Amino acid sequence: MSLLRAWSTLTVLSLRRLLFSASSMMVLLPLAGCLLYVLRRHYGDDYSQREFRQFSEFIILVFASFVVPICALAFGTASVGGDREDRTLVFLLVRPIPRALILLAKFTATLPLVMGLVLGSYWLYCRLAGEVGAIALPLYFPALLWMTLAYVCLFHLFAVTFRHSTVLALVYALFIEVLIGAVPGIVKRAAVNYYGRSIMYAAGEPAGLEPPDPRLFEPLPVDTATWALIGIAIGSLVLAILVFSRREYRDLT
Amino acid sequence: MQRSSTPSERPELPAHHQVGERMLLSFEGVTKFYGPVIGVNNISCRIGPGITGLLGANGAGKSTIIKLASGQLRPTQGKVRIGGRNAWSTSAKSHLGYSPDVSSFYEEMTGYEFVYAMARLNGFSRAEARQRTDYVLEEVGMADRRGRRLAGCSHGMRQRIKLAQALVHDPWLLLLDEPMSGIDPGGRREINELLFRLADQGKTILVSSHILVEIEQLARSILMIARGRIIASGTLAEVRGLMKYRPLVVEIVADPVRKLAALVAEYPDVQGVEVRESSLIVRTRNPAEFFAYVGQLVCSRGIDVQRMQTLDSGADAVFDYLQQGRP
Repeated sequence: MSLLRAWSTLTVLSLRRLLFSASSMMVLLPLAGCLLYVLRRHYGDDYSQREFRQFSEFIILVFASFVVPICALAFGTASVGGDREDRTLVFLLVRPIPRALILLAKFTATLPLVMGLVLGSYWLYCRLAGEVGAIALPLYFPALLWMTLAYVCLFHLFAVTFRHSTVLALVYALFIEVLIGAVPGIVKRAAVNYYGRSIMYAAGEPAGLEPPDPRLFEPLPVDTATWALIGIAIGSLVLAILVFSRREYRDLT
Repeated sequence: MQRSSTPSERPELPAHHQVGERMLLSFEGVTKFYGPVIGVNNISCRIGPGITGLLGANGAGKSTIIKLASGQLRPTQGKVRIGGRNAWSTSAKSHLGYSPDVSSFYEEMTGYEFVYAMARLNGFSRAEARQRTDYVLEEVGMADRRGRRLAGCSHGMRQRIKLAQALVHDPWLLLLDEPMSGIDPGGRREINELLFRLADQGKTILVSSHILVEIEQLARSILMIARGRIIASGTLAEVRGLMKYRPLVVEIVADPVRKLAALVAEYPDVQGVEVRESSLIVRTRNPAEFFAYVGQLVCSRGIDVQRMQTLDSGADAVFDYLQQGRP
């Protein structure tokens, strides 16, 4: 009972600190940029394949490939990394809470926040995009959900492993994901957004979305890509818990 | 009739907080490497109830010892135990209160909110946490400034808040890293009195400080660390006693001072005598026998000794001497 109280306190405390952190400002900028883009496009009330394709490509290539990882890394790395950089993590580590639970509390605080921001923004963009948005909303929703989960878990792993996790996660999100995700061959499977794009292109194709050249993109089947994202999420989280449970944080005091 | 509790009363704690077993912090052959660099080297000691001072120069291994004891670091070799439990384990942390040397907090919170949050992280219910927070804030002298945001608190106030969060779950082991830093003399007296009270309650308190006079005033026993090793332990008097062959500098205010100078200069264990206006500065290698000799002179030669004091038996001198003797 006391452990549950400690865990729930830490979750609420972490959520409150994340909400009022610099990370919130950091993610509002790209989300607002996307909102402005959608508003300026003036999507019509009637379905047009051209507009659907444009909106889908915006969601897949800009929102899912750039904004979603930015949101996930802003909060994912800040949840533990913020305490580490502020040197307040020591106050948590000397409490009678297992380290695994500390990390899970941080994760529990971060995930709904990032999910809410990503999926809420996506819902808003779809609402503003008229008929093409209404069609796109259920199509890309599952992929965005799994991608967000995978990124949040992955960036928690960054946070517990690296001292300057935010910088490294930014480098990873902006360069590794974009570069590796675009190269032909098996290497692209190291990028989270490759699996997300596989699901999204497959979902959008029946509604008129043209997938990239399959010889270059080599998409995975939807089920395989979904399980890959779930696997990345679980694997990263378990690894993060193991690292956090065993690691000495010498730089805390 | 149920008795209501006011902030000044010590709240009752759940049964699991009442520790009946050995209240010992023990290091058993503890060595800690940071890569190729050794932090502490084969340290063994048992720290029991009362206040123990941890003295050492920068890089001596003081912080490593505190971090090992608070379960932030794991020893490369040996064991660190808190009441028989591995210090790294979660169960040991129920009995541990730790005040770090850095002054970092959740700056957006008030002192009350921070200590309350720490109480909740120790598993207390809301009512218990409120009661405990009220109690410890009063204990550390922050009850009247509880609503002040931490970002606007002075260094001294932040030290008190750190102490409050370490005490909030009433642990039997307190690890305090430089707890007096930034606190004014009046505040130090208050904190000293609080620590004495806690020691009287049977708590085990390990205080690290670079201000040696503070430790001298506060600690019942001392652990001196140099280059990762314990170079001396015990009370300051015991540690001083280890230095049997080190000359002690004694100031004697006497009349006639020149006659006394001539007499003590003949004494075989006196290495040097310096005559000042109305006093002598004597260096002796056998203090106990020298003091007895001066006593005899007072009786047999009618010399009026007004004051006699050692000039270098404080912790600084002891520490400097012991460090010099280390390879």
